[in-house]
Amino acid sequence: MTDYLKEANNPQNQEDFLNRIAAAADRPRHTLKDDPLVPVNDLPETTLAGKTQDELLTIAKKNSENVHVNFQVVKAADLGITLNNFIAEKEVKSLMLPSFDEQKWNDYSLGKWQESLQLDPIYYWEPSQGRQNIVNANASDAAIGFADFLLAESGTITIATYPQQGRMFHFLPTHYLAIIPKSKILPRSRQAMDYYQKAIQEGSLKTSNINFITGPSNSGDIEMVLIVGVHGPLDMEYVVVEDM
Amino acid sequence: MGIATSDKPFLDRVKEAEADKFMRASVAKAQDAQFTKRTEARRQLGNWEGWRDLSAQIRQHVIKHLPDYLEEFSENVQKNGGHIFFAKDGDEASAFIKQLAIKKKAKNVVKSKSMVTTEIGLDKELLTIPGLSLMETDLAEFILQEDDWDEPTHIVFPTLHKNRNQIQKVFEKIGYKGDNVPEHMAKFVRHYLRNYFMKTDFGITGCNFAIANNGMINLVTNEGNADITMAIPKTQVVVMGMERIVPSLKEAETLDNVLCRSAVGQKLTSYCSFSKGKEADEADGPDDFYVVVVDNGRWQMLNTDFEPMLQCIRCGSCLNVCPVYRQVGGKGYGSIYPGPMGAVLSPILGGYKEFQDLPYACSLCDACTETCPVKIPLQQLIRKHRYVEMDKLHLDHSMTNTMLKAVGKGTASPLLFNDAMRFAHVALEPFGKKTTPEDIKNLYPEGKINHLPAVAPKLAHGWVDVRDLAVPPKYHQNFRHWYHHYAEEEEHNND
Repeated sequence: MTDYLKEANNPQNQEDFLNRIAAAADRPRHTLKDDPLVPVNDLPETTLAGKTQDELLTIAKKNSENVHVNFQVVKAADLGITLNNFIAEKEVKSLMLPSFDEQKWNDYSLGKWQESLQLDPIYYWEPSQGRQNIVNANASDAAIGFADFLLAESGTITIATYPQQGRMFHFLPTHYLAIIPKSKILPRSRQAMDYYQKAIQEGSLKTSNINFITGPSNSGDIEMVLIVGVHGPLDMEYVVVEDM
Repeated sequence: MGIATSDKPFLDRVKEAEADKFMRASVAKAQDAQFTKRTEARRQLGNWEGWRDLSAQIRQHVIKHLPDYLEEFSENVQKNGGHIFFAKDGDEASAFIKQLAIKKKAKNVVKSKSMVTTEIGLDKELLTIPGLSLMETDLAEFILQEDDWDEPTHIVFPTLHKNRNQIQKVFEKIGYKGDNVPEHMAKFVRHYLRNYFMKTDFGITGCNFAIANNGMINLVTNEGNADITMAIPKTQVVVMGMERIVPSLKEAETLDNVLCRSAVGQKLTSYCSFSKGKEADEADGPDDFYVVVVDNGRWQMLNTDFEPMLQCIRCGSCLNVCPVYRQVGGKGYGSIYPGPMGAVLSPILGGYKEFQDLPYACSLCDACTETCPVKIPLQQLIRKHRYVEMDKLHLDHSMTNTMLKAVGKGTASPLLFNDAMRFAHVALEPFGKKTTPEDIKNLYPEGKINHLPAVAPKLAHGWVDVRDLAVPPKYHQNFRHWYHHYAEEEEHNND
């Protein structure tokens, strides 16, 4: 029996395959450098461009609510109260938080709020704990995390995976709240992708994963009836901090 | 069986579909609902034709330079610490993944919805490994799995043919004790699958788009199961059709926007994710990341009239506008790829012999071409298949060819044509039935034919099996006769 595993990353396996399809296409290989993709239009960049942050906030709110998100706009000084209300309303007993450094929490005026939390347990997503983080996220009633951007057009938060805030942080807890500064609202997915592409290429962002999350998980697989909350969080809140 | 979902003849499948009233009503309801949602989502985006132009351009450019982009992608997967295997057919792809599962001692395998893994028959291959259990985690695919691996009926909504009572019975087999309310059943599945997810060691996903310039994989879902499948298991295998590639994250972003609007009428689905094997300082994500690039017959489309089919992004919008799909559903096609895209793809991937009927499951209305977000000329390709089947492969072994030749001769000869007109009524009148009050008035003044004896030619059967044929008028009442006399009378009156 052929040992196919030996063929993975084997240059011969790749070359045989690529030469075969090049021959079938009757086109020479390595012609891309002389024929790069030049887009026929700039719709991804120009659609919804030229809006002010206030206009984008209004659009973002409407579109987020359309995808079953509870959307709030608060001042940084009131953020702690908003988070406490969320914890009380969802009857959260176990909470998951990211393990970003003190500076990040203080930037959001949440340094003291963190210390005042009375919940037990509070799980922090710690890279040193490895896969125990997954178990902790699964045991958490809620997660409160930080998103990179909010996309006005679709009501989408975008989040890269960081050592302090891993992939399953955003999926396994039952309820989920994301904090986003108003200054990080972008028109649409293209502007976010421009950022990620540049940051990855330049090396300023080292991540294995980028999530674009548009409201809670859902399905229409049973008689096309919309069910909100399937594998991911059952519900989702976006809190926009307007004076950051 | 390959991509086939049935070994019954096409017309038997159509008859079964015709009898399945729930399925037909569900498909009609889904098509109508999707029409509203899709149209509105595209309208809100604005300049939809411009987005189609851009999307088609991206896909055509990638197919033109497919070896170059696959080479770039492969380099980046390896640079990221991943492994890539190029499989020329489904057997090689399945064998690779099976050997990997054995090497990794996989016990609890999770899958997220993937057409290509169904195409290569991966599930059945993996289940031959002793002690290995496999779980489809997309809600619809999970229902099909638990219903003894029932076949899907739609590429985006696989369980359209099942009602809530049938699904309730499926879940009762695995311990569900609740009612048939979809939310309650979904909650049961959430807990059932979450427990399984927490112990999984091997994940398998498909791939919406592979990103050539950074080696990432883009997956688009609403449930979030693909993200969990990519995060918890220590080993992840991505299975991708060789054409599912884009130059960079930007083109993936463009195509995700048209894909989500076309597939489900959403601006973006709940989860659009871009991922690879985990970084050293991250806690979750796969330690071992494998990509299997599958050809499996796709090469046959390159440099042929069918090359535009490689542009397909599997949105399913052609199914959602097709009047034939509306009547026969996915099972009528007998292929994992149904509808117009299936009528083009199935004969290529599965062979003309097995799927020769599918290009005829089409009214040539062109609605599919018009809705396709990447501008595949589906109707033209379906007609091209008919041409290949008849003129190149001579697959029609009936008398159709001889009959059409006879019709050609008859209609080209005034003598024969007039004789045919003269005897048409007398010849067909015995097969006619009287009209009923339900019939359209004056459409069948001489009666209608909806049944012919078994000895009648296939061509004639093909007509009356699915629609009524009017009994031709008596010779002295037919249009030519009437017009001839009318013209003579007019001439006489003018004189």
